[in-house]
Amino acid sequence: MSKIEKALNKARSTGALQVVHPRASRATEEAPSDISSATSAPIALIEQRGNASKAIARMQEKKLLDKHVLNENRIIYPEMGENDTVRAFREIRTKIIQKTQGLNCKIMVTSVTSGGGSSFVTLNLGVAFAFDAGKTALLLDCHFTNPSLHRLFGPGTFRGLTDYLDNTDMDIAEIIHPVGIERLRVIPSGGRREIPAEYFTSAKMKQLLDSIKQRYRERYIIIDAPPMTSSADTQILAELCDYVILVVPYGRVRDSNIDECIKAIGEKKLLGIIFNNEPDPPALQWKRILNPFIALWEIISHPFKKTSGVPSEKK
Amino acid sequence: MSLPSEHLVRILFNEVFHYRKLVVAIFFLVNAVMLALGLSWPKDYTASTTILVEEKRIIQPLMEGAAVATDVADRARLAREVIYGRKTMSQVMEYAGWLKGNPDQKDQDRIIQGLTKRTVVTNVGKNIIRIDYRDSDPERAFRTTEKLADLFIAESLAAKAAESQSAYDFIDRQAEEYHEKLIKAEEQLKEFRSANLEARSGSDADVGARLNQLQLRMDQATQDLKEAEVKKISLEKQLSGEAEIASTLSREGQFRSRIAELQSRLETLRLSYHETYPDIVQLKNQINDLNQAIVEDQQQRAAAKASGHVVLNEGMINSPLYQQLKRELSQTQVTIETLNARIGEARRELALELERGKRMHGGEAALSELTRDYQVNRDIYQDLLKRRENARVSASLDKDKQGLAIKIQEPAAFPREPSGLRFLHFVIGGLILGLAVPLGLLFGMIYLDPRIRSGMIISEKRKLPMMVTVPRLWSHDETLAVMRNVQWLMLAMVGTFSMVALTVILRLMTII
Repeated sequence: MSKIEKALNKARSTGALQVVHPRASRATEEAPSDISSATSAPIALIEQRGNASKAIARMQEKKLLDKHVLNENRIIYPEMGENDTVRAFREIRTKIIQKTQGLNCKIMVTSVTSGGGSSFVTLNLGVAFAFDAGKTALLLDCHFTNPSLHRLFGPGTFRGLTDYLDNTDMDIAEIIHPVGIERLRVIPSGGRREIPAEYFTSAKMKQLLDSIKQRYRERYIIIDAPPMTSSADTQILAELCDYVILVVPYGRVRDSNIDECIKAIGEKKLLGIIFNNEPDPPALQWKRILNPFIALWEIISHPFKKTSGVPSEKK
Repeated sequence: MSLPSEHLVRILFNEVFHYRKLVVAIFFLVNAVMLALGLSWPKDYTASTTILVEEKRIIQPLMEGAAVATDVADRARLAREVIYGRKTMSQVMEYAGWLKGNPDQKDQDRIIQGLTKRTVVTNVGKNIIRIDYRDSDPERAFRTTEKLADLFIAESLAAKAAESQSAYDFIDRQAEEYHEKLIKAEEQLKEFRSANLEARSGSDADVGARLNQLQLRMDQATQDLKEAEVKKISLEKQLSGEAEIASTLSREGQFRSRIAELQSRLETLRLSYHETYPDIVQLKNQINDLNQAIVEDQQQRAAAKASGHVVLNEGMINSPLYQQLKRELSQTQVTIETLNARIGEARRELALELERGKRMHGGEAALSELTRDYQVNRDIYQDLLKRRENARVSASLDKDKQGLAIKIQEPAAFPREPSGLRFLHFVIGGLILGLAVPLGLLFGMIYLDPRIRSGMIISEKRKLPMMVTVPRLWSHDETLAVMRNVQWLMLAMVGTFSMVALTVILRLMTII
């Protein structure tokens, strides 16, 4: 956990910090147009960073999700503290930043096999990026057959990626939705479940990815892709991305499966492997578990105590 | 899958957690089964006794070489043969009270089979045999073991005595047989000797010498004969020539000397006279007459020669040489006759002698065969006699129970505690197995399943820029559910332990 995060957490818990929800227009939420034409001068960069931070701070947020909801949806949050899963995602985030030297990028997350947890990794990696007040993450759900990111929105239909790719006159801003987690935005898969592979190769898709990447320098785009083994589209999608993260679920795939996936992705694009869902037991509250037994023991041993006490009383 | 032990332990721990219900279920089941087994396992009592078999006694060095001790090679095997025998088993059955219910033959066979199965005979040391017998009744176990040992000792001694006795009997029989053979051989030899007197050692040389002598004699005679014959021929030759010359000389000579005398006178007269002189004519007539006489004589002799008759006329003189030759010839003739007779005799004798020699050779072969038979029989007989004495000593040793010392080293004791697997073993075994079985199964699964359960395996093989293991993120509700689950499982474990403890207590109180 970085120092800034720690400070923020502390401020949040003490109430010293209140999240500001500026009633800015949707236009203000989107990046200022001058960012794309930023100069390479260091001063300009710092200025730009400052502007970006300000812009991030001005991001319009939905009502923030409750910890309980986050917990139920298996989403990490800063207050989890030294949880191993949180630590793991922080480590992944740090390694990505090291690899990209602080620049934003398009990262595709795919699993070796279906149900491997690529959506879980995508979501929590996005959250881990969003922990940092100076960074933001945009999640893109390309898991058309089995989308999962839209569940964060609650009831109702939201326009998504397929709608955007179908409608030529739709604005990008219409499909980017806040989810109730600070600095995290999601593009859901959209209404249509079946899209041809040509959608990924279309210029519009490439343009979409480029534009969302360039709009904010501090925004990391994370794409949830179908598993490598089940969809050929994933490979096409990988071409459009800067890096690929391969999720290997615990106890479900063989070494040879991983080799096949790495070969399909290519060594150059492979950012790394996440070995997911190791069945580490949760931290159990043994006192709570043992309570009934202690009570039972007391019930059992109580009559004996009483009977042993009775003769002495008689005496 | 090859993993360092700490990874393996970690994976095993995770898998145990994952399959916790199954682990607890197996633990419970194994314990229940083992308790049931322990309760139903029959109680067995084992009584054992050791028997010392020793043959090194004082008597042995004394009898060294004379008596043969029974071999000790595999006493347990011999003991097994004795103990498992029908005879011993029947006696044991009777003694230990198996025949109380008057079982029929089939049941008896079954009982004997059971007895055999529960009796173990082993060689503990070189000379110690151990008999173990297992039974559900301690009293019966004790009695059976005791009886088995007694019977074994009695049987062993009896068997050994019988063995020695039978050995003696056999050798005795053999000795008798050879004695008879020997006598027979002796008789045969005697008969042969009396039948063939010349067939004795040295007669061979005798015959040889005699043959030589005869041959020499015959050669000599032949030589003499040849000489005599030559002499005879020469004498005959001389004799024929000598007779003629002698007669010629007597008459012709006279005539020729007269002619020569008359011729000289004639010559003298011719010198002085003519041919017609009377004296000369007379002389001439006289000479003619004489010549006529010579011719007549010659003719007469030739005629005589042709007829073979020697006509001795008054003019012939008896020649002394001829007489002598004649005498010698006759002598030679006699000599030749004698020599011929001698040679014939020698030849006959030689043939006889050769015949005898031949006969003697055949007899000698037969004699040596008979002698050999006799010697072999005699040797064997002597050996058998010696052996018979040894066997007699061995047999009397065994009869007096001096040959083999068998005694009970450790008598059978009454078994107080049951032997073999006890209830406690089952309880402890159940607790250990209850843990070991599920752990072993999980370990086997981890070991054999090729699917990846450790991030280390992925990063070990490949050079990856990033490799992070993300543990499962438990939601609050899930954690609560796990806790409830763990509570139930703990209850099940406590229940299992209580079940085991209760069974043990009941068992100790001999309720079950």
